[in-house]
Amino acid sequence: MVDVIVLIKQMPDLEQVKIDSNTREPIVKNVPKTVEILSEHAVEEAVRLKEKYKGKVTAILLGNEQSSAIMKKAFAIGADEGIIIDGYEEHNPANTARVLASKIKEIKHDLVILGNQSADSITGLIPGMLSALLNEPLLGNAGKIEVTGTNVKVTRILEEDNIEIEVPMPSIVSISQEINEPRLPPVMQIMAAGRKPIKTEKIAPVISKGVTLVSNSAPRSERKKLVFEDMDKGIPEVVKVLKEGMK
Amino acid sequence: MKFLVFSENAGSLSQMITYLREKGEVIGVGVEKSSSEAANFGALRMYSIKGDILSDSIAKLLEELFKKEGIDNIFLSSSILGRETAGILSVSMGAGIVPEINEISFEGSKARTKRFYLGGKTVLEEESQAKIFTVSPGISDAIKSDKNSEVISLSAPVSKIKILSRQPKKSEGSNIENAKIIVCIGRGLGKKEGIESVKPLVEAVHGEIAGSRPVCLDYQWLGEDRQIGLSGKKVRPAIYVGIGVSGQIQHIAGMRGSKIVIAINKDKTAPIFEESDYGLVGDLYQIIPKIVEKLS
Repeated sequence: MVDVIVLIKQMPDLEQVKIDSNTREPIVKNVPKTVEILSEHAVEEAVRLKEKYKGKVTAILLGNEQSSAIMKKAFAIGADEGIIIDGYEEHNPANTARVLASKIKEIKHDLVILGNQSADSITGLIPGMLSALLNEPLLGNAGKIEVTGTNVKVTRILEEDNIEIEVPMPSIVSISQEINEPRLPPVMQIMAAGRKPIKTEKIAPVISKGVTLVSNSAPRSERKKLVFEDMDKGIPEVVKVLKEGMK
Repeated sequence: MKFLVFSENAGSLSQMITYLREKGEVIGVGVEKSSSEAANFGALRMYSIKGDILSDSIAKLLEELFKKEGIDNIFLSSSILGRETAGILSVSMGAGIVPEINEISFEGSKARTKRFYLGGKTVLEEESQAKIFTVSPGISDAIKSDKNSEVISLSAPVSKIKILSRQPKKSEGSNIENAKIIVCIGRGLGKKEGIESVKPLVEAVHGEIAGSRPVCLDYQWLGEDRQIGLSGKKVRPAIYVGIGVSGQIQHIAGMRGSKIVIAINKDKTAPIFEESDYGLVGDLYQIIPKIVEKLS
C-alpha cells in the first residue's frame, strides 16, 4: 500500500500570453489557465504507483472555482480525491511551499509527488522547501520510482550522470518529464470524473513580504537586425562576420 | 560584502565567481573537480567537498560555512542539485530567496535582481533583502584572475539518502558551453540527414553543433547535452548561427548572451530575425554550401 499526495500546478496558457507593444508588459488578464505540463506527468505517476502497489491518490491544487476542469482531468487519469485550495494567488515560492506544507501535514501519506520545475515561473524551489518544511527527505528529478517494502527507490536524473537513491518513506519525490507518457483516459472515465465531488477549501490571503516587484516586461532586442533577402549581399556580409569571429 | 558561492559545475562556478568578485569578497565551494578547476578566478578561499553530494547534506554544509565565514549572501548555480539545496537552505535558515537571477546589484543590503518569467517571455526586476540566490548559468564569461584561491578540503555531513548506484551519461565529448562559435540547428532542417549538410559549416568555423529543444528531445537528432534553451544549456558564444531555428522564446532564453547572432531561415517572419544581428532569408541547403565555399 502506498498513499500518494500529488501536487498540481495551474499556470496561464503561455501560448496565449501576449505582450503589450507599448508598455512591453505581459497581458495575462483573461488568459485561460492550463495544467503545468510536469503536473500531468506527476498525476500519471501517482496513479501508476497506486495501480502497482494499491493505495490512494489525493491531488492538491492551488486555484479557485475555475480550476475544476484541471482537477477533473486528474480524476479521469485516476486520482481518488481532489482538494482545491482557494484564495492563494501569490507567486512567492516560500509562501506557496508553506501553504502546501500545512495542507500536506493534515493528510496521511507515504509519498508526495510533484514536478521538478514549472514551465512558467521556473524557480524549481518548491521540492526543496517542502522537504525542509515537512522534514521528509527529497528524492529529486526522478526518472523512475519503485517502492520496496517501506522504502522508496528513485533513479535521479542529473546533468552529468544518473544515480539510484533510496530512503525510508515518507518522502518527497520530484519528477522529471521523461518519467512517463501521460495516458489519454477513456471517455467513460472522463464522464465519471465530471461527477466526482471536489473539495474546495478557502484560505485567508497570504501576503508576500520581502520581495518587491519593480517591473515585469518583455526585454527589448538590441540586435542589429540586418536581414537580407538578396543572398549576393547577405552571404558576403555573414562570411565577413564569421571570419572575424574565428580570429 | 562577503559571498558564499556554490556549484558542482566548474563552468558555472567560475562564471559566478567572475561576476561577483567585483561586488565583494568571494568564498567558493565546489566538489573536487569544480573547486580545483575554478580555483584561479579570484575567490579568496575555495572549499572542496570530498565524496558524494546530496541536497540535504550540501544545505547543512553551506549553512555551517555561512556562519563560520560571516557571509552576507549565498549564491548557488541553478542546476538540479543547486535549486533543491537552495529551497532546503532558505527554510532552514529562514532567509529570503530569489531564484534564477541573471543580474544583481546591491544598494546597502538591498539586492536588485533580474530573472526570466512566464517561460522566458518577460523579465522580472525585483528588490529584496534576500540572502540566498540561485543563478542562471551564463551570468558572465569566466575570466581568470591572477589571484589563486587557497583550497581547503572538507567532507559533507552525512545525508539521509543512500546512493545505490551511479551511471555516467553518454556524452558526445565536447561541451557547447565552452564553444566560441555555435552552429545551432532547428526544426527547419526538416530531416536528420540534413545534419550532414550543416557539418561542413561547423568544421569550417571550428565550431560546435547544438540544437533546439525539438531537435534534441523530441526528434533526438542530437544528444540532450547539445540542447540550447530554458530547459537546456545557456550559452554565450562569440557567434551563434541559428539554422532553421524559428526562435521560440524558450530557445532565445538560452542564447541571449551570445555576442553576435546570425540566423538562416526560409520564413522571413520567423521570430529569430528579431533576435539576430544578421539574417539570411532563404533555403538553408543552398545558402550553407555558398558560405562554406567562401570561408575556405
